[in-house]
Amino acid sequence: MQKLGYDKPTFGTILAIVVIFAAFSPVATATEVVVNKSVSTSGYSKADISAIFTMQKRRWSNNRQIKVYTLPDSNPLHKDFVKNNLNMLIYHVRKVWDRMTYSGTGAAPIELESEQEMIEKIATTPDSIGYINSKPDNENIRSFDYQ
Amino acid sequence: MKTFAHLTINKPSFFGLYLLGTPVHVRCEGEAKFLKRISRVGQLLTACLFIIYYSTSVVAESTLLPDEVQIHGFLTQGFFHSSDNNVYGQSDDGISPGLTEIGLNLSYQPWDRLRFAAQGLYRRAGAVDSGSVRLDYGLADLTLLEHDSGKLGLRGGRIKIPFGLYNETRDVAFTHPTILLPQGIYFDRSRSLLISADGGSFYAEQRTDFGDFNFKFNVGKPSNDLNEIKAVVLAKQAAQGTFDTKPAIATQLNYEINGGEYVFAVSYMDLTFDFNPALSEKDIPQNRTHIQPLLFSAQYNGEKITLTGEYEYRWNTFGRFASQGGGKFVSESWYVEGSYRILPELQATVRFDTISMDITDRNGDTAALLGFQRHTAFASDWVFGLRWDITPSWMVRADYTRVHGTAWLPQADNPDPNKTKQDWNLYGLQLSFKF
Repeated sequence: MQKLGYDKPTFGTILAIVVIFAAFSPVATATEVVVNKSVSTSGYSKADISAIFTMQKRRWSNNRQIKVYTLPDSNPLHKDFVKNNLNMLIYHVRKVWDRMTYSGTGAAPIELESEQEMIEKIATTPDSIGYINSKPDNENIRSFDYQ
Repeated sequence: MKTFAHLTINKPSFFGLYLLGTPVHVRCEGEAKFLKRISRVGQLLTACLFIIYYSTSVVAESTLLPDEVQIHGFLTQGFFHSSDNNVYGQSDDGISPGLTEIGLNLSYQPWDRLRFAAQGLYRRAGAVDSGSVRLDYGLADLTLLEHDSGKLGLRGGRIKIPFGLYNETRDVAFTHPTILLPQGIYFDRSRSLLISADGGSFYAEQRTDFGDFNFKFNVGKPSNDLNEIKAVVLAKQAAQGTFDTKPAIATQLNYEINGGEYVFAVSYMDLTFDFNPALSEKDIPQNRTHIQPLLFSAQYNGEKITLTGEYEYRWNTFGRFASQGGGKFVSESWYVEGSYRILPELQATVRFDTISMDITDRNGDTAALLGFQRHTAFASDWVFGLRWDITPSWMVRADYTRVHGTAWLPQADNPDPNKTKQDWNLYGLQLSFKF
């Protein structure tokens, strides 16, 4: 009688398990960069996102000043955003903001308390940008697509 | 939302400043005096907590200020103990609560291209500063030209001096890894010359595919309050006359790769100040001091590891000594530092820093001939520090420093130079809060 192969998993079974786990695990970059509907979202790059959130790039392509909103350093959504959308380190982004704030050379983004406050702010503030945990479900907010 | 009604904050702050501002002149000789000191420390801490309590409660019930207005601040209290020599008060054989720093700043942007910013700083630092409030910076920032990948602008007013990686935020504990910055470069003794200057600044920022460039050119008059360096540039601490600083140049080119993973900077300053002796002072002639430091900085910021190095070469002309055939000499200082993040909020740091006041007199022979202690000519420090960021707003850290030499030692805390020791240990503990 042929021996059953489950004590020696084949390459195929391992692959199947990996695929199943991958399908059910959360997508790594779930954080969604969002803007107020007044913002035209075409033609921006990943580098632009970093420059916007480190307050180096201050204007949209229509020359309107960008309004940047963030969440506290300890917020999991903020941590995910900095790591996966900005490709930067939390302590480093903080250093950039603190240097501006305490030397008078710039103003850091406005820090909000919660994702709910972020949604309300982005919905009601023209030229604003921030991030939320899922696709926007508000007619005044749209996803910010960047290459 | 983190906005603050600043009038509400100011009342408890001024009360706190009143408590903190009373100078402490207690020596740790007897038990009673020691107890008095401890109670004084308690009083200080209570005052600190009082202010913080009010600040945080104001955050909780914040009234909404417009987004164009931002208010931030920080509060730092340091404690020091040393085996010999005093730092920030009587630290030798005691515990000195000698370093208190409180800052409150405001940024207001009335138009897209114009921003106002100001910061008030209260500081108490041992015998060097028994407690004073000053305007740390107060400026108008005008953006002249802004394009897709950079901008140009002008700042006018009282502006922080860009020098090395840390000078612009030297009093903000959160922005640097150890309690004391490398003293061979960021002298606490000559901080009046280095903190800020009244004048103007031109700046330019350019982002490129291979990194970001940031250039600053400042011209301004630093503070005249140079008592602490009298002993250095005049060889007489008790001089009665006054200093008069001339407009100084400070310029910096900063280059960052990968959003600041690698940072390189070159900074240069040109500082001049005159000493005008008092009428009764016949022994010190009117004289001019000229200092030109050139500083190279490099830093790597990794997820776990940060590596930093800075090298300073400084030309000095001390007019006081010109008639004695000298007065011109070159100082050199450098350090290398490594930090390791054991946990995201726990960081350990090791640093070696060294300074030679005169590169032709590294072991102090000339200093000894002139009647100074030999070890005033140099200092080499090993620093071991541990920093814990308890929350984004609270941080505590401890440093141990082994020092060989006294080149950066504050004179006011050590009035008798003959009592200073060449080899000594310094222990520091610091608590800081910011919002």
